[in-house]
Amino acid sequence: MTAKESAKSAACAQLEQDLVLLHYGELVGAEKMQVAAHVEGCPVCADYLKELADLLPKTVLTDEPPHVFWQDYNRELRQKMANLAEGGPWWRKLISKPWSMPVLATSAVVALALTFTFGNGFWRNRDVPPPVDEAILEVLPMAENLDFFRNLEVLDALELLELMGEENKGAA
Amino acid sequence: MSSVPASLLTGFTYVMESFMIASPPVKSADEELVALARDGDHKAFEKLVERHNQKAYRIAFGFARDREEAKDLSQDAFLKAFMNLKKFDGRSGFYTWFYRILVNVCLDYKRRRGRRTDEEFNEAVENQLDPNHGIAPTVALDEQVLASELSRKVGVALEALPPKQRTAFILKNHQGLSIKEIAEVMQTAEGTVKVHIHRAISALRQTLAELA
Repeated sequence: MTAKESAKSAACAQLEQDLVLLHYGELVGAEKMQVAAHVEGCPVCADYLKELADLLPKTVLTDEPPHVFWQDYNRELRQKMANLAEGGPWWRKLISKPWSMPVLATSAVVALALTFTFGNGFWRNRDVPPPVDEAILEVLPMAENLDFFRNLEVLDALELLELMGEENKGAA
Repeated sequence: MSSVPASLLTGFTYVMESFMIASPPVKSADEELVALARDGDHKAFEKLVERHNQKAYRIAFGFARDREEAKDLSQDAFLKAFMNLKKFDGRSGFYTWFYRILVNVCLDYKRRRGRRTDEEFNEAVENQLDPNHGIAPTVALDEQVLASELSRKVGVALEALPPKQRTAFILKNHQGLSIKEIAEVMQTAEGTVKVHIHRAISALRQTLAELA
């Protein structure tokens, strides 16, 4: 391609948008005349315009529904509008009441309180033994030596008897 | 009998007209119906629907290329308009405001749905060519096949376009809206609309050439 042809091709490329507007009838006045005059003398642009005229109508997929379609369409839409006017589904109607949120919140709090109160330990895994109190763990070894404690009691009793004996001697 | 000179009569009429209080501009039928509908008149809104439902359906069909989807989309747009009628400030015409809602509904639907498979395109196109669907039952079979194939390719090409290009192209090419109207619907400049349309056509030419 010669330099002249390249320049012409570049210029035509810049005119593409105007050719699109010309095809759609969006150009008016002097601008329209200028572009139309160019197309007459430029086979590239003329081909482009012809391609648009050929291709673009084919991109339209039309649909002409029958009369009964529009009857159903309007009836369905009226029904949907009526549903909207009534407020929609029952749960939406419920939460739209002014007292609904405080009641729901209070119910939730009461339910939680009851759950924690009566359900304490309910969900415990019964395969796992309950946690043992630490105090019991400390005392357990000592509890196993009951004889030792019994001896301590006897010693306490002996001491008490000695004290009582000394008091009696003093009184005498 | 003396007759009043014509020039005097003309002058008198001119003076009277200039002193007449200009009557308020006549409201369009749409504006009157919108005002009634905003006050809760459902019948007024139903009349608005009747005035615009076919055009709305055709726009939705341009996006969806399927009858049932186009019906659902256009109905959804009417319902949205019905729910938001109080927000319509009247700065633009009702149809401009409504078509903006409709376009957004169509684009949201496409975004959620993603791109259709070739099978879905074929099924949609075949449904449209079904004689019971009301399209060209007298077209010869081979022409129907060619039309079906081209329609499928066009559907693929349109789906590949960015949303704004697709919107501008459909409103211009399929619906014949002016550049100015499209700019109002898309809330953008007219120059931007021209660029979108040009780029859409360039992309369509390229995609259709690749699919050929």
